[in-house]
Amino acid sequence: MAKYTAKRLLYSVIILFFVMFIIYVLMYNMPSGYVETKARELASRPGATKSYAEWLADLNAQYGMDKGVVQGYLVWRSNAVRGNWGDSWAWTVPVTEEFHNTVWFSFILGFVSFVFEIIIAIPLGITAAKNQYSFTDYFTTVVSMICISMPTFFVATVLKYVFSVKLGWFDLSGMQGRDYMYLSDFGKFLDVAKHFVLPSITIIIISIGGLMRYTRTNMLEVLNADYIRTARAKGVPEKKVINYHAFRNTLIPLVTTLGGSLPGLFSGALITETLFSIRGIGYASYTSMTQADIPFIMFYLAFISILTLLGNLISDLLYAAVDPRVRLS
Amino acid sequence: MGSYNLNEVLKEQEKRKRAQGGGSASQEEAMKLDDVARVKVLSPGRKVFKRFIRNRLAVFGSVTLILLFVFSFFGPLVYPYGQKQIFYKYDVQNVNYALAKRNTAFNGYLLDAQAEIERDVANAMNSNIKKMLTDGESVMMVLGEKSGYAITKLTDDVFLVSLGDMSRICSAGSGEVQIGTYDAIKKAITFSGAPVEGLAEAVGTVKGASAEVTLDGVTYSFQRGAAKSYNVFARLEGIHYYGEAMDEGFETALNQAIAAGSTSFTYGGTTYQLVAQNSTSFEVYSMSGEARDVALYTCLTLDTHEVGAAVSDELKAKALYAAALNSNGSFTADGESYTIRNQEGVWVIYNAAGEEYAEFSHYSIRRYTGADTMEYGLKQALAETIEEMNTAGQKSGTLTYNLPQQGESGEYVYDADGALMYTETEMKITQRDTGEYVVNCDQVNYIIDMFAAPSAKHILGTDGDGFDVMSRIMYGGRISLMVGFVVIFIETFLGVIMGGLAGYYGGWVDNLIMRLVDIFYCLPSMPIMIILGAMMDAMRMDTYLRLIIMMAALGIMGWAGVARLVRGQILSLREQEFMIATEATGIKVRDRIFHHLVPNVMPQLIVTATMGIGGVILTESTLSFLGLGVKHPLATWGTIINSVSSASAMAHYVFIWLPVGLLICLTVIAFNFVGDGLRDAYDPKSKR
Repeated sequence: MAKYTAKRLLYSVIILFFVMFIIYVLMYNMPSGYVETKARELASRPGATKSYAEWLADLNAQYGMDKGVVQGYLVWRSNAVRGNWGDSWAWTVPVTEEFHNTVWFSFILGFVSFVFEIIIAIPLGITAAKNQYSFTDYFTTVVSMICISMPTFFVATVLKYVFSVKLGWFDLSGMQGRDYMYLSDFGKFLDVAKHFVLPSITIIIISIGGLMRYTRTNMLEVLNADYIRTARAKGVPEKKVINYHAFRNTLIPLVTTLGGSLPGLFSGALITETLFSIRGIGYASYTSMTQADIPFIMFYLAFISILTLLGNLISDLLYAAVDPRVRLS
Repeated sequence: MGSYNLNEVLKEQEKRKRAQGGGSASQEEAMKLDDVARVKVLSPGRKVFKRFIRNRLAVFGSVTLILLFVFSFFGPLVYPYGQKQIFYKYDVQNVNYALAKRNTAFNGYLLDAQAEIERDVANAMNSNIKKMLTDGESVMMVLGEKSGYAITKLTDDVFLVSLGDMSRICSAGSGEVQIGTYDAIKKAITFSGAPVEGLAEAVGTVKGASAEVTLDGVTYSFQRGAAKSYNVFARLEGIHYYGEAMDEGFETALNQAIAAGSTSFTYGGTTYQLVAQNSTSFEVYSMSGEARDVALYTCLTLDTHEVGAAVSDELKAKALYAAALNSNGSFTADGESYTIRNQEGVWVIYNAAGEEYAEFSHYSIRRYTGADTMEYGLKQALAETIEEMNTAGQKSGTLTYNLPQQGESGEYVYDADGALMYTETEMKITQRDTGEYVVNCDQVNYIIDMFAAPSAKHILGTDGDGFDVMSRIMYGGRISLMVGFVVIFIETFLGVIMGGLAGYYGGWVDNLIMRLVDIFYCLPSMPIMIILGAMMDAMRMDTYLRLIIMMAALGIMGWAGVARLVRGQILSLREQEFMIATEATGIKVRDRIFHHLVPNVMPQLIVTATMGIGGVILTESTLSFLGLGVKHPLATWGTIINSVSSASAMAHYVFIWLPVGLLICLTVIAFNFVGDGLRDAYDPKSKR
């Protein structure tokens, strides 16, 4: 197990190295005029602390943009490994500071949605599988298909229209109400929580369909397995067949995928956060991307890549841990 | 028995039946037990098809897709509007109707077409007249290069310019008078009038900015003008002649005139003008010969009673001339005779028939565009209102007046006799800080039909650019569907080649390709697409080029999944007997992969591709929604929603974004249903 993990980790590092290289090449080939324009814009902002030349010099020092692609990449990599990510252009604070400021909002949003997703999707998927071809089954299938097929921005727009414009229950976007400053600490917490409701619902809607389908498929497979037939033949009560024999086996793939998606909770919901102006890492990175904030973009892309690789690793390891039949080599 | 083709056998049977004609039951051939036709066996394709159409959701999906294709690819052929067709409408808008200004500038009208006022003099005319007005002078003499001009005030608004051979006679009183210029190099003085003997010798060499010398009791000062050139001034008391000295009688008359404070006197049949330089010094000019009146300067505007009638400058000049100098006020201009009379302080011109022809007014009132198409009565009413405002010290006022009525499409409405119809319109007059008055009123205007609600003309209304939403949706559907297919084609193409190679060869090829797949799997595609979009935004790339780059990028980033699938399938297929057979028969490697292995992966490929198209459409619409994909004026479903994504637009124009959003959902759902159905049909035992 430990050997396998070490090997996988090594693999991941190598993959990460190349992924970052591709991303670096992309950044490296950004039209220089574009970067310069952005640097000038930045320098001419009120309260700018650095001149345009200083910003570019910083970029070169940090990212080796003035050297060849490979050398520049090595410069950047050695800086990055030491945790030296430079200053964000769009946010004018060190990249890591902006990361600390935003990532927890993203995590809370992701985590809450994740919990609700599990609570709703798994029971529904199992019920659908138990009563295959029943109304519940068709309903679940169609609903999950609709959820999968909806673009995030459409869900967000519909929710905003219904709950913000028509019913007026929530604010259209943002994280704080207008009288946030006058609220007590608990009131502030509730205020922010209220602003997180619509974004979480959006995330739940767009991601619940997949989990529901996955649960149903796996449950169906398990229910068709020989040992379930055996259990039924032996006269085990149906309740016990489902809850004890079938459900436990369904959990194997579920746990691995859900475990694999745990790191993703930190990656932020790019589109949803942007649409609702939640100051999470997704929103921050979207703003950075549209403003050619190379330091923050590089950091964000590296971060996401690490999370993806970590997710795959966790999912594989969990598979072995949960299912004793699987042997890792 | 050889090999049958079941379909062939069935077809033959059919043919035989038909040939027998009618095919009554008694004539039917008895079937043998081993007849293949006894057992109705379906071909694999038909089997899949049969299973597919049994799935209601899949059928729903395929029907929806067919309708969508017809809608977006054939719809525009039938639909009357194009995607870039802008619609206009007529609507009542509060417009800037007219601009009124109290004239302060004086315009010159020549009395005689041949006459000419020197340019320098004409240019300075306005400021000279203003100076006269502020100083309260009634006559001003202006010397040009060739001749002298007298500006005479006729009334506060009208000034007469007359031209004559004017000469400066002398200066009177005490003051400095320029008598000539001194050239420091030649050390000589050029006198403008009578030379002063011995001055040049007396002053010797002049240095510095100025010098003074006294000769015969007169002080001469030298002021440096141009380099090495000095203006010579004589500080004079009494009368100093520029030219020939006059006799004593002239001097007496001049002194009397100065003492009386008059500006002109006559001596010896010649009129002399006194022009004050300052309180104690005068310049005396003589008009030799008859002075000719050449032009009139006025700050009045002539408004004709006939709307927009062109009035020649000659008429204006002659009218004012007659008004000021002619007792009966009659004059002839442009071959017609007119009379001008003052009525309650306003100069009115009557034509030969005795009808009012035009009036002079202090205000120049024009349509906001500058065209002089307003009726006389309206101009007068506006001028009166403005006067009232001025008296009351207000900066705004209102006037209700009958304006020409406009129809729904902005054209003027005429009654049965062809006369304009009028409607009462309230006009609001506001004085701007610059002193002009703006007149606002409601008018029917031809404007872009933005955000029109759904109607019979526009089924889904129009968007913010005046485009028809329905046609945008059709054209947008074309692009969205096309993007989906092209991207999936690129993905599958790359994926099959890479996956096929990896699966077939195994070993280091497999290892290399699979690591590449790992890398591409790990690439965060959405952020990269957003960065690409932002970059293309900054480069102002052509929208068609953007579309192509976007499709290519999506395809390149998506092939890893297909490659993984193909490789997995091929790894298991490779070990099967038919592959050993291909090896034994010596089929080329390329054919083995692409003719024998890949076709076996086809079912899964078709299923993934179908489901993938939905995903690509989602990605594309999201990008376009963020404004980073396809750009205006090309339509895609995402762009249409993006155009109403601001909070207020979203709240007000539901009829735009809701149908488009639903259409996106419907399309993606349809692709997913069809994909699902295909998977079940190909392999009923597979996982769903």
